[in-house]
Amino acid sequence: MAEAATPPLGIQYASSPQEREAVTLGMWTFLATEVLFFGALVAAYFNYRIWFGGEFIAAARLTKVAFGTVNTGVLLTSSACMAMAVSTYEAGSRRRPVLWLAATALLGLAFIAIKATEYWLEYQEQLVPALNFDLAKHGGVAEIFFMFYFCATGLHALHLMIGIAMVAWLATWIGIGRIDRGGSTTRLIGLYWHFVDVVWIFLFPLIYLAGRNG
Amino acid sequence: MSAGRVWRCWLALMVLLALTTGLAFVPLGSANLFVSLGIAVAKALLVLIVFMELKGSSSLIRAAAAAGFFWLAIMIALTSADYTHRTDVRVPLDKID
Repeated sequence: MAEAATPPLGIQYASSPQEREAVTLGMWTFLATEVLFFGALVAAYFNYRIWFGGEFIAAARLTKVAFGTVNTGVLLTSSACMAMAVSTYEAGSRRRPVLWLAATALLGLAFIAIKATEYWLEYQEQLVPALNFDLAKHGGVAEIFFMFYFCATGLHALHLMIGIAMVAWLATWIGIGRIDRGGSTTRLIGLYWHFVDVVWIFLFPLIYLAGRNG
Repeated sequence: MSAGRVWRCWLALMVLLALTTGLAFVPLGSANLFVSLGIAVAKALLVLIVFMELKGSSSLIRAAAAAGFFWLAIMIALTSADYTHRTDVRVPLDKID
C-alpha cells in the first residue's frame, strides 16, 4: 500500500506529520532571514526616495518597463508551474512533476535571459555605476538609483539562479527515482522558489513603475 | 492544491499585473506609490496564501511566516524615522565639494 512509498522517518521525529511541520518551519525561518536581507534594500530605497524625491523617481524612468512587466509575468507563471509540480508530486505522480519542474526552470532561465538583455542595454546607455556610469549626463542621484537597481536585481537574479539549479537537480532526481515519494524536498524547494517571486513582486513597482505618472 | 486553484490564482496574478502596470501611467500624484504597493501586497498575499500554502498550514507556520514581515516593518519604520529627521549628509556623489 501507500506505506511502501513513505520515506524513512528522521530519527529525531515521532511521526511523519511532525517531521513535515518541523522542516516546513525550518524553511520559513530561513525565509524570514531572507525577508530581512532584501528588506534592508527596500528600506534603503524608501530613504533615498524621501531624501532625493523627484530626482530619484525620475531616474526610475530610465529603467525598461516593458522588460520588467514581461519578466514579472514570466516569474509569476514559473511560480504557477512550481505549484503544479508540488501538487502533482504530492498526488503521487512521477512523470508530471518532472515536466512541471522543467517548465519552472526554463521560465527561470527566460527571466535571467531577459534580465541580462536589460543589463546589456543599460551598459550601452552608460547606466552601470562603477563600470561606465555617465555622471555628467544622468546625474549623481540617478547613479544612486542605479546602484540600488543593480544591487537589488543582481541579488534577486543570484537567488533565482540558485533556485534554477535546485529545481533542475530536483527534476533529475525525481526522474531517476532517487527521491522518496512523500518527502518534503519538492515542497520546500517550492517555498524557496515562490519566495524569490514575492521579492520580485515588491521590486517590480519600486523599480519599474515609479515615476511613470508624469 | 487542485490544478484549477493554481491556474485561477495565476489568472488573478496576471490581472493584477496588468492593472498595476496600467495604473502606473495614470497621473494620481503621490497616490501612485500607494496603489502600486497595495497591488504588490495583494499579489504577494496570493502567492503566500495559495502557492506557499499558508492557507491550510498550522498557526505555528503562519506565525513564522508573519514574523519576518513584522520585523521588516519595524526595521523600515525605525530607519525611516531616523533618516527623515536628519538634515545632513544628503549629498549625491557629483555634488560633494
